[in-house]
Amino acid sequence: MERQGKAQDEWIVGGHRFSSRLLMGTGKFQDAETMVGAVLASGTQIVTVALRRVGRIPQEDDMLGPLQQLKGITLMPNTSGARNASEAIRAARLGRELSGSPFVKVEIHPNPHHLMPDPIETFEAARILAAEGFVVMPYMPADPVLAKRLEDVGCASLMPLGSAIGSGHGLATAEMLRLILRHARIPVIVDAGLRSPSEAAAALEMGCDAVLVNSAVAASGDPIAMAAAFAQAVGAGRVAHRAGLMPRGGGTALATSPLTAFLSVEDA
Amino acid sequence: MTPQMPAWLDPSPWLDGRASTHADVERALRCDEPGPRELAALLSPAAHPFIEVMAQRARALTQRHFGRTISLYAPLYLANHCTSGCAYCGFASDRTQPRRRLEPPEAEKELAMLKEMGFEEVLLLTGERTSHAGFDYLLECVSLAAQRFHAVGIEAFPMTIREYGLLAEAGCSGVTVYQETYDPRQYDRLHRWGPKKDYLGRLEAPARAMEAGMRTVGLGVLLGLSDPSFDAVCLMRHAGHLQRIHWKSGITLSFPRLRPQEGNFTALFPVDEAWLARLVFAFRIVLPDVPLLLSTRERPEFRDGMAGLGISKMSAGSRTTVGGYGGAEPTTEGQFQVSDKRSVPEICAMLRNRGLEPVFKNWDSAFRDASVRGHD
Repeated sequence: MERQGKAQDEWIVGGHRFSSRLLMGTGKFQDAETMVGAVLASGTQIVTVALRRVGRIPQEDDMLGPLQQLKGITLMPNTSGARNASEAIRAARLGRELSGSPFVKVEIHPNPHHLMPDPIETFEAARILAAEGFVVMPYMPADPVLAKRLEDVGCASLMPLGSAIGSGHGLATAEMLRLILRHARIPVIVDAGLRSPSEAAAALEMGCDAVLVNSAVAASGDPIAMAAAFAQAVGAGRVAHRAGLMPRGGGTALATSPLTAFLSVEDA
Repeated sequence: MTPQMPAWLDPSPWLDGRASTHADVERALRCDEPGPRELAALLSPAAHPFIEVMAQRARALTQRHFGRTISLYAPLYLANHCTSGCAYCGFASDRTQPRRRLEPPEAEKELAMLKEMGFEEVLLLTGERTSHAGFDYLLECVSLAAQRFHAVGIEAFPMTIREYGLLAEAGCSGVTVYQETYDPRQYDRLHRWGPKKDYLGRLEAPARAMEAGMRTVGLGVLLGLSDPSFDAVCLMRHAGHLQRIHWKSGITLSFPRLRPQEGNFTALFPVDEAWLARLVFAFRIVLPDVPLLLSTRERPEFRDGMAGLGISKMSAGSRTTVGGYGGAEPTTEGQFQVSDKRSVPEICAMLRNRGLEPVFKNWDSAFRDASVRGHD
């Protein structure tokens, strides 16, 4: 049996090793102080920042500034707001320039209202950015075939949605996530839709490598406390996954009238 | 001749004359996919006792979709020349006030001042198409604004698809065209002369802008001109129609209100603050992911209260006169009376006190074209 030591339970994405399995989004917070507090309380090592919110001059609502001060945090610029592959590619290149990070969360949603990721444009952008040497983390519909296609073009991880972004509907795509997990060679991170720490724990129990949350923390009653709660839940879910869940009940109790009594004993 | 309302817009199936009941409102608040019928119920007198419930719901939905943030933008009036005779407008062609436009160097000064104030999004406004402020002038001003601002919107006359395309290429990311009122008869009566008399030409302008690839289109009605429930249901139908066809563009909604007595025009259907608030809550409930805007027409206390309660975007520090920010001497009257005269830092401090982060930059021009990156 695998040892539970922390060092043995790292996960690797794009050649980088991480021990925290909680990734944090940085939008939607009431102020930079709360955002930084939540990031610290979450124990996260990967933080995503929307490039559309990053200012070129030090400004009051600059997102990047306060995060660049933090030690041990990998910045992952995201392309949210992009409607197609070429917009996302331009944003990704600029993000690398501004943040110095090779990580990019490709996020392409042509419809600015429901924000569902565009599988076709996402595939195209991922293919080109992976070839340019980015550590590509695509936000994607929970589609097992698309998952393999993205893997084939060199993505570093897969980021399927649990449910619609900001919806708080949890792991509505659980059945598709299981199929993605069964066949994935690269880390699978559930991104979007989570509302409660128990849902994050469930994602880790299922075998997901990590989860990313933003609204669930930023729009909670106490973002800093909620970030800590997610950290605990993710830890518990991971340990539970490694320990192996008890088989589900039912299915092994014997009926009083056996169905196999007709089988001949002589053949045994 | 009174223009005909297209079938996709007609709200009459949802406004059948039957008054909504307490039970209708409760049903509307429990509905998973609220539509025009639910909107009508939430705007009916029967919903008034539910205003606090609606406010709570609106705040929760706003937080879920927009977080604890409020986007800020600034309007910039480029010109007040106009050929239309809108009975309610301070820029109508029969008003005697001096007319002027900002010459491009003056516009640049005003833009620089807005940038200095921290804005990253600007809305450029003109009246109807005239020889003083026509398409080429607007295009030039958009290009100037796009050199400094990440997001540039226009609120001007309806245009052709080709013209909207040229503006988009020059860096325009949003187009605002309010129908003012969707009631064809009332529209015809209030738009006494000029190009704005063309109800259908205006109605179809947002679709043309989206067809041309414009990222965002702003819709709205001027509350006070017509039956506000009728206009509200039409507004929802218009937004839904556009979303179904032009699914790659975003929609924003605004709720400008004629104050009971303003200038020479008295609101025909006055809307009070409580009803306006309920209108915003109702729209947040039926369209949870659409940005809802509130301008400085409203008084500070109302704006403070509504921030985050459905409203996700606001103007701040606005001047509604041509040259009003001080880049040029203002010699004209504003289009409307600014009630919230507070400065941008004051608005930011107010938002922070209410647990809301003011957001100036929510878009990056780098997405558009790598060759126009120099924002520093």
